[in-house]
Amino acid sequence: MSVEQTLETLTKIIQDVLELPGLTLTMETSAADVDEWDSMTHIQIIASIEAHYKIRFALGELQSLKNVGDMIQLIQKKLTK
Amino acid sequence: MLFNSYPFIFAFLPLALLGYYVLNHFKLTTQSKIWLILASLYFYTYFGFRNLPILLISILCNFFLAQLIRTEKRIFTKKILFRLSLVLNIGMLCFYKYSGLLLPLGLSFFTLQQIAYLIDTYEELAEKKSFLDYMGFICFFPTLISGPIVHYGQLMPQLASSENKRFQINQLSLGLFLFTIGLVKKVLIAETFGDWARPGFDEATSLDLLAAWKTSFSYTFQLYFDFSGYSDMAIGLGAMFNIKLPQNFNSPFKSKSVIEFWTRWHMTLSQFITTYIFTPIVRFMPKITFRNTMIATFLAMFIAGVWHGAGWTYVIYGSLHGLALVVNHLWKKRKKKLPSFLAWLLTFNFVNIAFVIFRAKDLAAAVKVFMGMMGLTGVVIPKVGIKSVGLLKSYGFSMGTYLYPKDYAFLLFLIGSFVVAFKFKNTLELEKGFIAKTNIAFYCGIAFVFCLFGMNRITEFIYFQF
Repeated sequence: MSVEQTLETLTKIIQDVLELPGLTLTMETSAADVDEWDSMTHIQIIASIEAHYKIRFALGELQSLKNVGDMIQLIQKKLTK
Repeated sequence: MLFNSYPFIFAFLPLALLGYYVLNHFKLTTQSKIWLILASLYFYTYFGFRNLPILLISILCNFFLAQLIRTEKRIFTKKILFRLSLVLNIGMLCFYKYSGLLLPLGLSFFTLQQIAYLIDTYEELAEKKSFLDYMGFICFFPTLISGPIVHYGQLMPQLASSENKRFQINQLSLGLFLFTIGLVKKVLIAETFGDWARPGFDEATSLDLLAAWKTSFSYTFQLYFDFSGYSDMAIGLGAMFNIKLPQNFNSPFKSKSVIEFWTRWHMTLSQFITTYIFTPIVRFMPKITFRNTMIATFLAMFIAGVWHGAGWTYVIYGSLHGLALVVNHLWKKRKKKLPSFLAWLLTFNFVNIAFVIFRAKDLAAAVKVFMGMMGLTGVVIPKVGIKSVGLLKSYGFSMGTYLYPKDYAFLLFLIGSFVVAFKFKNTLELEKGFIAKTNIAFYCGIAFVFCLFGMNRITEFIYFQF
């Protein structure tokens, strides 16, 4: 799966959770850039990603997620495993 | 040892740095690691040898438990070992926090760092490390006693990197710059506010309106400058060893909501709590609903409160912030924003009021300050312009000696602190754009000298008690 595809899917998931249909994401977007993206919606985003890709993040992996780019990298790492 | 003491600044730190870089210059990597560990242990035992066995036992036990967990193939045994390790760590923390015994210095901080390591080992994220490297990570003196709480994944690779073992003058300049900022915050600002907060909380039997607000604001700014100053010094010390430590504060008083406040205040604790307490609680629940995440949010803040100590004041402090977060999330759901200034005013006042409970030595002291802040124990009017309080006297108003020189100093510091907290670049921003220049060195030098004169009276940092 390419980075672009993952970004597209991730955008859809995050738009749904945050209820912001018009939200655009780049690799550098982080939770701090989007007001609705806080600790509560973050855990919902994580759960939605896990359900969509049928993967599970370890707690320590969540610690190092700083932006969308990190998330995509981690998803791809999990999928190729 | 205290960062703000002559022996630390003029003897310990130069020697620790010199030994570290000289050994590394001759490629004596193992010796340099041992040097840094011995220096850190000396730093730790400067307060007394009593704490040392606890630190060493904690490191040894956790290292070997992690090894056992890593190599255990049977899933059930692995789980038992993991749970046992958590119980031991949390048990030890609770024992010292709540038994009334003197809390070993730094226990709250190095226990959290080791819990993160154990969890990650259990989840097969943490790679095998040598005992020396593990000990070097936990003992690293800049973060040993009061944080910033650093994840092994952030610190250990940096301690191992050979690139970082070469002395770099830029990093030393950055370190000295950040250390000086922290020193100014602690010695010149926090201590001054401390002198205004102390009598109101600990000595007065009742406080009038203005005195109560003065007491409360003084503590809020004392805590901020004390703890963020400590963190700046720690981060500066890290930089001197070519280690980038995580920032702990990001202009928290600019926050326009309690949710935002916790992303800017004691950030490394917030991150630890979100990752290792809040997330497991949410996952433990059958379904992620709004209600369940709110319960988890409250519980996580409650735990953060009692992590500070046993008193009811910490229980209430944690619960208040937990409730505030829940209210904040409920409000956010309505998608109606408060005007910026009102949002800020509400947040700042809530934070300020919650700190009264955090600081008070017991509930009675907190109530005393609150009564004063509501004007229920008298209002003293400054003797400027008005001759007498007249009829208001029967409502508890009286004339007082406000605005004598000391109070002008307080007003000056208060306004100054607001300006610093709002208009100045914070350490995070300063660190990013730092370039060593002669004029920066000049101003730092002057500030440093001022601090040295202010250090004739050396006091501990507030977070040493936690």
